[in-house]
Amino acid sequence: MTKNEIFPRMSEAIVSGDRAAARALAEEALRSGLDLLEVVERGYVPGIQKVGELWEQGEYFLPELITSAEAMKAAMAVLDPELRLRAGGSRLGGRVVIGTVEGDIHDIGKNLVASMLQAGGFEVFDLGAGVKLERFIDKAEDVGAGLICLSALLTTTMMNQRRFIGLLREKGLRDKYKVLVGGAPASRKWAEEIGADGYAENAVAAVKLAKSLAGRA
Amino acid sequence: MTHPLLELAKTRTVLFDGAMGTELMARGLGPGLPPELWNADRPDAVREVHAAYFEAGADVVSTNSFGATPLKLAAHGLEARAFELNRAAARLAREAAPAGRFVAGSMGPTGKFLEPQGPATVEELTAAYAEQARALADGGVDLLIVETQYDLREALAALRGAKSVAGLPVFVTLTFGSFPRGCFTIMGDPAGRAAAELERAGADAVGANCTLTTDRMAACVRALRAATALPLVAQANAGQPEAGADGKVRYAQTVEEYVRHVPEILEAGAAFVGGCCGTNPDTVRALARIIRR
Repeated sequence: MTKNEIFPRMSEAIVSGDRAAARALAEEALRSGLDLLEVVERGYVPGIQKVGELWEQGEYFLPELITSAEAMKAAMAVLDPELRLRAGGSRLGGRVVIGTVEGDIHDIGKNLVASMLQAGGFEVFDLGAGVKLERFIDKAEDVGAGLICLSALLTTTMMNQRRFIGLLREKGLRDKYKVLVGGAPASRKWAEEIGADGYAENAVAAVKLAKSLAGRA
Repeated sequence: MTHPLLELAKTRTVLFDGAMGTELMARGLGPGLPPELWNADRPDAVREVHAAYFEAGADVVSTNSFGATPLKLAAHGLEARAFELNRAAARLAREAAPAGRFVAGSMGPTGKFLEPQGPATVEELTAAYAEQARALADGGVDLLIVETQYDLREALAALRGAKSVAGLPVFVTLTFGSFPRGCFTIMGDPAGRAAAELERAGADAVGANCTLTTDRMAACVRALRAATALPLVAQANAGQPEAGADGKVRYAQTVEEYVRHVPEILEAGAAFVGGCCGTNPDTVRALARIIRR
């Protein structure tokens, strides 16, 4: 298959959430020695972008978003080892530490954001739910993350997003990380008020924002 | 099914209560604690909230058991106390209820995704709701209300579980968002199809709660009305929560703004109205004035 034949099929595999096809096409790209960065950027990324558009238009819902993200991950699992080998390290996005803040056990939204960030080319370290604020910092320091994402569903636990920014400042690390906040009670206004770097309304918007903060869009 | 509450709804609009969690927080419930724990630890506070809603004019209050399926309680390591906490929830509301008023056993989502999006099975969910329903019935509720469901499949499992253990009316409300093509759950279930399937599965009333504010609720009720002859329930949110500089949380809509759109909701066909997130006894008092004028 030529690039012009295979790229649209990669995109289509993501849009239709066809994990087997997404994986098979990635394997074929490897075998035919295609430029893998180009495969990602012109084959798969347009697919996941289309999924994001369909979600924002209210055409796609959670099930479609999840299956498409899974298909994207299946393709990336094939391509990632090779890309790393060639690039000599982490590819594209950089590292993200994500979790639901302490006192809060809700993780559906956070899982979706983690999944979409991973599909979007980030290396994601998901700490789960009810995460102590110090642990976000320890992990980020440990893995060399650039981005920290904090989720909170409750109006009470969203206060921990504010506390986290304070904690970063205390430790003299505020400028080292970009901090994104999300969850039902959070808003752009809230992010500004507490001095976070951004807020995203949903998982698709979170990926866009993360890419723009990472200087990729 | 004939039931005094369903009979009442044929004669006039029936009023539900407003939010529970925020009322308990105002009485000192700590962040991150499951409100259901207070059914055992602070029964006086829970009774007081119910009493305040009855005093404000509610015909029906919902028990403090929204997050008390054993599956949801498991996230706090409390699954072994599911029966106790649910039965206590029912008893506290019962104790607060004046004669002739009603107690609805609240059953919220398990927080698990069903296959293939998640690991949960329909059988597992049905069993969890059945266990909760049994305890609520044991504690003396008049009806069960399955609330804030975001997946029609889970709502149907909850309905089946509830119906399997108690001969009580079961109301089912889902939470819909407003999209260009209409009202859908986050799983993509259209409001009309949800209403029709729930009717077929034996629900005694269906409706919408949470997510939507009152100005968006009427459109959703119309979509439900077009698909079912069942009585309809509408419990809207009072806008989005906002954290003030003092660290206190407020909701964007005032009581006046909230109730302004309620006549449209009634006109669209809601037989049962009440509040959801951000509402309080003042909201219910204002609702009572509107529906009884």
